Amino acid sequence: MDARSWRAIAPWAGLAALVVLPLVLRDRYLVHLLVMAGIFVILSSSWNLLAGYTGQLNLGHAAFYGIGAYTSALLAIKLGISPWLGLVLGGLVAACFGLLLGVPALRLSGPYLAITTIGFAEILRLVAMNWVDLTRGSLGLYGIPPLTPIPLPGGKSLTFTSEVSAYYVILVLCLLSLACCRRLVNSDFGISARSLRDDEMAAASVGIDVNAYKLAIFMLSAFFAGLAGAFFAHYQRLVSPDTLSTAETFTILTMVMLGGLGTLTGPVVGAVVLTFLAEGLRFVEDWVKMDVRLIIYGLLLILTILFMRGGMVGLFDRFRRPAAQPGRE
Amino acid sequence: MEILRTKDLTKNFGGLCAVDKISFSLYAGEIVGLIGPNGAGKTTLINLLSGFFPPSSGRIVFEEQDVTGFKAHQLNELGVARTFQVVRVFNKLTVLENVLSAQVDRRQMGPWELVRRAILPPRGEHQRYQKECEAAERLLEFVGIAQYRDEPAENLPYALSKRLEIARALATNPTLLLLDEPSSGLNPRELDDQITIIKRINQQGISILIIEHVMKVIMNISHRLIVLQYGEKIAEGLPQEVYSDPQVVEAYLGGDAHAQH
Amino acid sequence: MESSLLLQQIVNGIILGSVYSLIALGLTMIFGVMKISNFAHGDYSMVGAYVAVFLMAWLPGWLGWVGSILAAAAVVGVLGVVTERLVFRPLLTRWTDIDIIMVSIGLFILLENLAHLVFGATPRMLKDPFGGAVFDLGLFSTSQLRVFCLVFSCVAIAVLQLFLNRSRLGVAIRATSQNRFAAQLMGININTVYTLTFSLGAALAGVGGVLYGTLFAISPVMGAIPTQKAFVVTIMGGMGHMRGAILGGFILGVAETLGGNYLSMAYKNAIGFMILILVLLLRPSGLFGRRQ
Ligand SMILES: Nc1ncnc2c1ncn2[C@@H]1O[C@H](COP(=O)(O)OP(=O)(O)O)[C@@H](O)[C@H]1O
Ligand SMILES: [Mg+2]
Repeated sequence: MDARSWRAIAPWAGLAALVVLPLVLRDRYLVHLLVMAGIFVILSSSWNLLAGYTGQLNLGHAAFYGIGAYTSALLAIKLGISPWLGLVLGGLVAACFGLLLGVPALRLSGPYLAITTIGFAEILRLVAMNWVDLTRGSLGLYGIPPLTPIPLPGGKSLTFTSEVSAYYVILVLCLLSLACCRRLVNSDFGISARSLRDDEMAAASVGIDVNAYKLAIFMLSAFFAGLAGAFFAHYQRLVSPDTLSTAETFTILTMVMLGGLGTLTGPVVGAVVLTFLAEGLRFVEDWVKMDVRLIIYGLLLILTILFMRGGMVGLFDRFRRPAAQPGRE
Repeated sequence: MEILRTKDLTKNFGGLCAVDKISFSLYAGEIVGLIGPNGAGKTTLINLLSGFFPPSSGRIVFEEQDVTGFKAHQLNELGVARTFQVVRVFNKLTVLENVLSAQVDRRQMGPWELVRRAILPPRGEHQRYQKECEAAERLLEFVGIAQYRDEPAENLPYALSKRLEIARALATNPTLLLLDEPSSGLNPRELDDQITIIKRINQQGISILIIEHVMKVIMNISHRLIVLQYGEKIAEGLPQEVYSDPQVVEAYLGGDAHAQH
Repeated sequence: MESSLLLQQIVNGIILGSVYSLIALGLTMIFGVMKISNFAHGDYSMVGAYVAVFLMAWLPGWLGWVGSILAAAAVVGVLGVVTERLVFRPLLTRWTDIDIIMVSIGLFILLENLAHLVFGATPRMLKDPFGGAVFDLGLFSTSQLRVFCLVFSCVAIAVLQLFLNRSRLGVAIRATSQNRFAAQLMGININTVYTLTFSLGAALAGVGGVLYGTLFAISPVMGAIPTQKAFVVTIMGGMGHMRGAILGGFILGVAETLGGNYLSMAYKNAIGFMILILVLLLRPSGLFGRRQ
């Protein structure tokens, strides 16, 4: 087969592989890891939309994740709203907060934006800790219902308590959010969005409403994080204020930098690699009897930025076409 | 027909009055040269006309509409396009994408509409995109950089990136084009090409306000000149008249430094 | 509300604020000169505090105290040079805000967890060389240690000002902070200034950490808080402005203590961020920075 037909087949083959993967693995724990990797794929891709494509450094991304998780969990517990609806509502409420943070963020950049977004997440974490009547404080919300079964014709129903079923749900969510990211980057909309990262002033000069674009992307980024959070709530069935912590954001950004900032595949690669690396390191930790996991995260982040700009995807590209540098006139 | 009029347009930076009560008109199909020594306020005037700064006082009327205080993107949508003194192309985008970025039909699109578009492709998007690509390629050919269409813009040589900026500005379908020193840093051959391009743009009926230091260019192409000094308009008229105006000779050509190159 | 209680709170706030000022001064100096926003800054304070923990176990009383502060300055100063050379310097020629902030976050994660590995998770307290003696002025009282803390930070801030205004190196630092290129043209060796500034800035955080350790528990994860406070203070005062950072520190200290007591203890840590957001919305160049 020639290269063209390979390229046409590859995505379908990849999808087929993803569909059969949990059936082949037959290991509940490994499938659980895949689910977690899926959650982080959404989180890191959505963070990357903002940082990678508009250059806005949001260090409070975990807040949107937590908002989605708390929203959907509370709606289900207190009001009995279907978790399926909760997924969407979690995303929407997160998007509203995205708007709330996005408006002041328009005027900020660099360290100013970074610390403001940390503050935003920190304030929300304190609310989750202290509004005990609503959130049960640092104990967290437990007893969150799982995604409700979908009745099938013939009296049976599809349940969502197993890891494998959760895997298929998160797979769909991942594909949806990645499709949206791809549109954002490759469509005409995406060209304009990427242009702001390079030069906002020039973008304004060709009629791009820089603020509208930034807000739109801020909301989308928050929406997907909220969606991931809502899914997490019904999967783990426990949400604590830790979901909102800055440490969670730092994990996300390590994934994105490791995979490749400002690329579509980078965050996906980073999320999967780091999720499984963390597990691998757990064995190392048992062996050396030391907590080395986070030390390695820190080192990875530093080394990636110093020596591997463009992350793993960038590295791969360099190998694939080593002399891609077009000559100057 | 008058397409642009300013009345007592003023811009203060702290204590400094960079543009001081400037009134002038620009008529359809004209090329007007804006000259004056460095720091005279020429770039600031263009920044005001293209909406990058709000004026401190005074008014701007574009095509009979008062556009004072409009933002840059709004003015662009009304038909004002510009280039920058120091080139500002989108470095990481390809040359073609640079032009495409300017073509998207995004009139009146707020964040909500953008979100909707990001998620749901509007109907006929693909065909429109094809058409835009074709139009963009025609513009690249027009300025003579079509063979670079898929290169990142940062790889373009300086002279060509200036042309890319012009193509990008044209992609927004302007009625008025503001050029900030389009030929600075060009060698004589590139300069001739640039003059040709500017003239051909004007032949399409686009009015041009051009800041220029290079005498050859300014005398060759402009129908009228406006001279600024210390933010004030000190002269206005036909090129020959202006150059024989003693006040201009005194202020601007006295040192003779600029006139030579 | 008793006025003496209010007075007491204000005094506590000022003491806390003096520590914030010290730590924030280091951050603002480094930002002013090198345009580096270091999110690992608070970890220099953490290391400084641990230096004190170990030294005071060795040297009792007064000696331990003075020794700790000197040792913290020295150890953290060296750590500052090392991190600057290894982590930040390679980025300075091709830096973007995002790269610098990210790399400093990497450093933050690394230092915090290294400390966890080396020192363990158990929180520690510093021994009080005054044996808990209290300074009672009638209207309010405060431990002698806290008074010492305040006096020491004020002296340190004053010495720093003298150094920056009078010594040749200090003037070079200020010149570079105002205009890097002009400073280079004047024959200032920019690399020396960078190294010195970074080391001095880190040492300030280290010393601040020892003082911070007299007020709060010391643990490997403590660094995040001083980092946040230092950024709030620095932005409040205008990034890169020394005077602004000093005043900002005191303002934050007093605001937090009062807010913590009269509004809500649980949200004490949010107060700084609220102030930050207000400042950024109303006066983006900082309370004391020049308007743009
Ligand atoms: N954003 C700004 N802030 C403060 N001063 C400015 C700004 N832009 C321009 N100026 C000042 O306004 C004056 C006019 O500058 P400019 O319009 O760039 O002159 P020209 O383009 O004619 O060389 C100069 O003194 C310049 O320093
Ligand atoms: Mg100019």
